[in-house]
Amino acid sequence: MTEYIMLAISCIFVNNIMLAQNLGACPFLGTSKSMDTAVGMSMAVIFVLVMAGITTWTVEAAILKPLDLQFLRTVAFILIIASLVQFVEMFLKKSMPSLYAGLGIFLPLITTNCAVMGACLININKEYSFMQALVSSFCYAVGFGLALVLFAGVRERVIMARVPKPLQDTSIGLITAGFVALAFFGFKGMG
Amino acid sequence: MNDMFKMVLVLAVLCSASGGILAGVRSLTMDRIEYQQLKFEKEPVIRSIFADADNDPMTDRFKLTDGDTQRTIFPGKVGDQNIVALEALGKGGFSGDVGLLVAFDIDSDTIVGSGVTTHSETPGFGSKAKEDPSFVAQFEGRDVSSAASVKNDGGDIDAISGATITSRAVCVGLNEASAIYQRLKPELKKSMDNLASKGGSN
Amino acid sequence: MAKSLTQEFVKGLWEELPPFRLVLGLCPVLAVTTTAKNGIGMGIATTFVLLCSNMLISLLRNIIPQKIRIACFITIIATFVTVVEFLMKAYTYPLYLTLGIFIPLIVVNCIVLGRAEAFACKNGVAHSLADGLGIGLGFTLSLGVLGSFREVLGAGTFFGHSVFGAAFQPFTFMVEAPGAFIGLGILLCLMNIVSSK
Repeated sequence: MTEYIMLAISCIFVNNIMLAQNLGACPFLGTSKSMDTAVGMSMAVIFVLVMAGITTWTVEAAILKPLDLQFLRTVAFILIIASLVQFVEMFLKKSMPSLYAGLGIFLPLITTNCAVMGACLININKEYSFMQALVSSFCYAVGFGLALVLFAGVRERVIMARVPKPLQDTSIGLITAGFVALAFFGFKGMG
Repeated sequence: MNDMFKMVLVLAVLCSASGGILAGVRSLTMDRIEYQQLKFEKEPVIRSIFADADNDPMTDRFKLTDGDTQRTIFPGKVGDQNIVALEALGKGGFSGDVGLLVAFDIDSDTIVGSGVTTHSETPGFGSKAKEDPSFVAQFEGRDVSSAASVKNDGGDIDAISGATITSRAVCVGLNEASAIYQRLKPELKKSMDNLASKGGSN
Repeated sequence: MAKSLTQEFVKGLWEELPPFRLVLGLCPVLAVTTTAKNGIGMGIATTFVLLCSNMLISLLRNIIPQKIRIACFITIIATFVTVVEFLMKAYTYPLYLTLGIFIPLIVVNCIVLGRAEAFACKNGVAHSLADGLGIGLGFTLSLGVLGSFREVLGAGTFFGHSVFGAAFQPFTFMVEAPGAFIGLGILLCLMNIVSSK
């Protein structure tokens, strides 16, 4: 049990997929302008990453490894993620239309979210067991959401402040993200 | 229906083409890749450990099965010492696992040398585990049954300043190598005797 | 309104320079620009994929059915990414080790998919190649500059050669994750200053 708690802490804080491993930057900057979009994206990522994590792990264990087809991993994983996102979209549209409307455009954007593909690859590289892959996928997604929400909160404040013109928008956004990342840097020793 | 058929056909052709091309590229580059791994990761360490060997550990290398993995063993005769070197992974480095190559004297069960092969540690800090020979020199002469750990954890190894995590990972890797060595000892001894009787390669 | 080939090429070097002006492809930018060499290495690998995929997608643009075009693009791009991975493993092994997980991640680099969707599937091969080359080189340039910035400040070296001498205490955080954000933010600010003149 403690092993999973340590894994959770590692994925959410110490090795935060966005702030410590720099994965998932595009959507990070794009959806952190307001709290609503940040929360929406976080939910979507948690949803997709958990399913993608399990599916890619299973494909690796059941097909790629035994048949020595590991060089097809990149192609296979990204197609799995893209199809999953497609499926989830169709499923939500039919059965949970309010959630679908709430997630909006963020759902298709997840296909190119490096955090999702990255986390799936990390599960394989670190040779996690099924349970570990499940926990880590969930926690990486939670960590991503945490970073996103924290950052959105900061950004909403920054927009109110008087920022010099060249620094506006993305530039100050990045520098602020850097400071949030610095804060998380303090977790490093816990790995 | 025609549309559906076309979609399936295009996708199927694309995927098969992809699989075919990748399988082709893979077999074309397979040997070269194995050579590169040998050259970049292991050769520098092997050269330094087996500096005065009578044979060439690289060409004399052989594989042993350990459970469900294949391990490459590099044998060498230095003076009258029979040495085997094998690889282990030091998990828990700052930015990932630290690859180690550790050499054992098969007659006295001691470590005669070691070196870091691969790592993603911070340049200027953890990378010193590879760049600074005095760090791994601490492991020389160590008995295989004596687990290594840094002074912070109650052991006797001086960690690299500013890189305790990396130093810890190296200790973990070293202990792992010792465990592998002890596990494979009977087969290692057999293989070394075989090599000795074959006269080595000169 | 067809631009000339040169115009397609040049736009990638400033007007639509990723990731500064064309805010795409950020992930690798942040993570691999720890040194100038890594940044440029990544840029070249991405350019290679961009060129190949732009070319093939442009060639096949009339055959790929609209409904599954994203899936087809992804398959093509992922194939070239894996080819690059093999080539790097076989010919530039140390760089392959350093770039690590980010090589397969080129497949989700928004630049590659973005250009395929926005340009290659609507334009001829020559133009798609020019577009790919321009944007790819621009990207490589940006990665090189950011990488140099972080390397010089964070480790005191440039392409591995010491710049300031032994007395310099580097801003180590610059080569870690926080430095990526801050470095990119500062450079973006500088670019904004320059282009508003």
